[in-house]
Amino acid sequence: MIRKTRRRGTWLAATVLAAGSLIATALPAYAETGVTRGEIKLGITLPLTGAASPGYNKIGNAMNAYFKYVNENGGVYGRKITLIQKNDEYSPQLSIAKTNELILKDKVFALVGPLGTANFTAVHKSVGLAKRGVPSLFLNTGFSGFAKKTSYPASFMILPSYAMEAKIIAQFLKENHAGKKLGIVYQNDEFGIDGMGAFKAAGTKFDVTVPYTSGSQSAATAQTWVSQLAAGGAQVVVFFGVTSATAPLLAVSAAAKYAPQWILGSVGSDPLTLRALGVPVAVLNGAQTPAGNPSPNDTSDEYIKQFQEINTKYNTGTAFDDYVLQGMNIGLMTVQGLRAAGSNPTRKGLISAIETKGSSFASVAYSPLGYSKTSNVGHTGYYMAVMDANGDRKPFGGTVKLYTTDSGSGPVVLSTFKRPAMPAKGLPSNS
Amino acid sequence: MRKKIAFFILLGWLLLFIGDRVDELRVYQGAQIAMYTIALASIVLLTGYSGQVSLGNGAMMAVGGYAAALTLNKLGSPIWFAFLMAVFFSALFGALLGTAAARLSGPYLAGTTLALAVGLPEIANQFAFLGGVPGILFDVGFPPARFGEEFTQYKWFFWIATFLALLSLFITSNILQSRFGRTWSAIRSNSLAAELSGIHSSRMKILAFTISSALAGLAGAVLAMTISLVAPGAYTLTLSFALVTGAVLAGVSSLPGVALGALILVAIPEIADVLANSWGGGENFSNYLPGLIVSLLLILSVIFTPNGPGENLRKHRHNKASED
Repeated sequence: MIRKTRRRGTWLAATVLAAGSLIATALPAYAETGVTRGEIKLGITLPLTGAASPGYNKIGNAMNAYFKYVNENGGVYGRKITLIQKNDEYSPQLSIAKTNELILKDKVFALVGPLGTANFTAVHKSVGLAKRGVPSLFLNTGFSGFAKKTSYPASFMILPSYAMEAKIIAQFLKENHAGKKLGIVYQNDEFGIDGMGAFKAAGTKFDVTVPYTSGSQSAATAQTWVSQLAAGGAQVVVFFGVTSATAPLLAVSAAAKYAPQWILGSVGSDPLTLRALGVPVAVLNGAQTPAGNPSPNDTSDEYIKQFQEINTKYNTGTAFDDYVLQGMNIGLMTVQGLRAAGSNPTRKGLISAIETKGSSFASVAYSPLGYSKTSNVGHTGYYMAVMDANGDRKPFGGTVKLYTTDSGSGPVVLSTFKRPAMPAKGLPSNS
Repeated sequence: MRKKIAFFILLGWLLLFIGDRVDELRVYQGAQIAMYTIALASIVLLTGYSGQVSLGNGAMMAVGGYAAALTLNKLGSPIWFAFLMAVFFSALFGALLGTAAARLSGPYLAGTTLALAVGLPEIANQFAFLGGVPGILFDVGFPPARFGEEFTQYKWFFWIATFLALLSLFITSNILQSRFGRTWSAIRSNSLAAELSGIHSSRMKILAFTISSALAGLAGAVLAMTISLVAPGAYTLTLSFALVTGAVLAGVSSLPGVALGALILVAIPEIADVLANSWGGGENFSNYLPGLIVSLLLILSVIFTPNGPGENLRKHRHNKASED
């Protein structure tokens, strides 16, 4: 009797297992890493703490706020987006470790908005992103080396390259500061050298050239920079470095009553970081800078208005600034990419979708996007702006005068490009 | 000797066999365990045998890492030569440091090496050819094509790191069992008595420093390989403290214990991650928790088992065997 019951139990278990297996195999399979029936898992590494964190630490939460908004409005083809943020403290080795966690442990579908030239170079090599085919969307760095499609086939830039930025500044110098003595302070790694190469190609000759090594910036080293610039009589000084170097440079210059016309590169002109580093933002008053997006305070802009509403509801208590704007815009671009990849997205499909449809994506920046089968270049231009005593910017000359160019020998041209409209309610409906 | 060689070959095969059957994350962690094994062996030799307390092994690793990366990048040399240069330059640096350190002992030596651990990696920030804060890439290249498409980069790292770890352990164990090992033990037990019996203790201490630095330098190059990068941030004071903790936990004079110490060091971030998730501490918390765990383990170990739990276990076994 007992044996019979046991045998019956065994049969029952086998039947349930077999039926379960049949049901499981009959259902559509979602074999792609990081994609399930109800979720798409994305990951980002960024400095949530540490010296580089002010400002950058807002990008992940801003992106997440936008994803929450999209999730509450039906997600992407019914799937909710989950963003996993990892703190890399802006250190390449931590960035590698955290990206490894995202890919090997959390098994994300794609990386979005990874930060920093050195970090992404190291991560790309060490983790083998290209070989694994992990999409790396909308890098928060402008190093033109990342635009090399053959080396970075699964990566997409979003910012104009540092080379483009330098070419546009060179054009601006020609048009507005001709005949003046020029000086430049630049970081002598990929970032600064990228810019210097473009200045040279554009024929800009600097009377005073001050390179510095990343990490060596301090009040003491800034003294030597200012001494060199002042001794050389530089009337217009271009700064092509990071904000932690802008801070001592501007502070020491103000103390020494050395007041050239500053032209601050997009990376080193952030008022929020300067304030966090103890520098009064007023020193930025009158500084000229290349800008890609409208001012985050410009509520007449449809993108800014929509993003501000999302920020108020889903990112409560966070001031809406350039970093929040950048995070939300990457979120908007990512959702368009995921939609373009179709209802059963794969990594390959996502890459292909951005290559073929990405150039028409809606984005807050004024310049065109350069995505194609042979290009992973993001935005391709800047307008020049002037900063006020609060660090806010207005277009130089009163209206946006957009220049576009490439990272190579192409000309800098005045563009009439009209960016696509913000999708209705900020919710993409592309396919 | 033959038995030992056979043991190491067998161990190597076993590790490669395991490496073939675990997922990529574990393979990567396996390479890290191998790296820590070499680094801890350098501490066992220096502190456990010759009795010199160094808190600056992270700095020695930095010397090896930069030497390997510069050799590979500037000379375009094969990878084995880059590792050889890491060993050579860190040994040279160790010999110079050892010459100064031979005059110091106890807290003075610990203080000097601590200052080195703090200061040396920061020097990289001052020289452009060392790459500043972002560092310089250290690319050992893809695995040979004959291993097939499925053979990943991390498995390649694991193979190289495991081979170097086994080779280092084999050489170190032979050195420690030779007259050098016995001489260092004699100096550590009673320096004066060793001098009276004709041992030139300063010379022997310099030799220990040199060999230990060579091992640390090799570990530094292996670390650089696993992250494809050499940067000041990879060789921090935290790393030096983690190594000391690993060595203490494993038993500072136990060479076989280094693998256990290395395993603990790699497991700590995993444990911290689990704890942070269960306590809901978030990403920031989980980043700082490993350092906290390392510090706590070191403090608890020093309070309750000054020679480390590994050493206590070894003594307990030894006493039990004597009683039997």
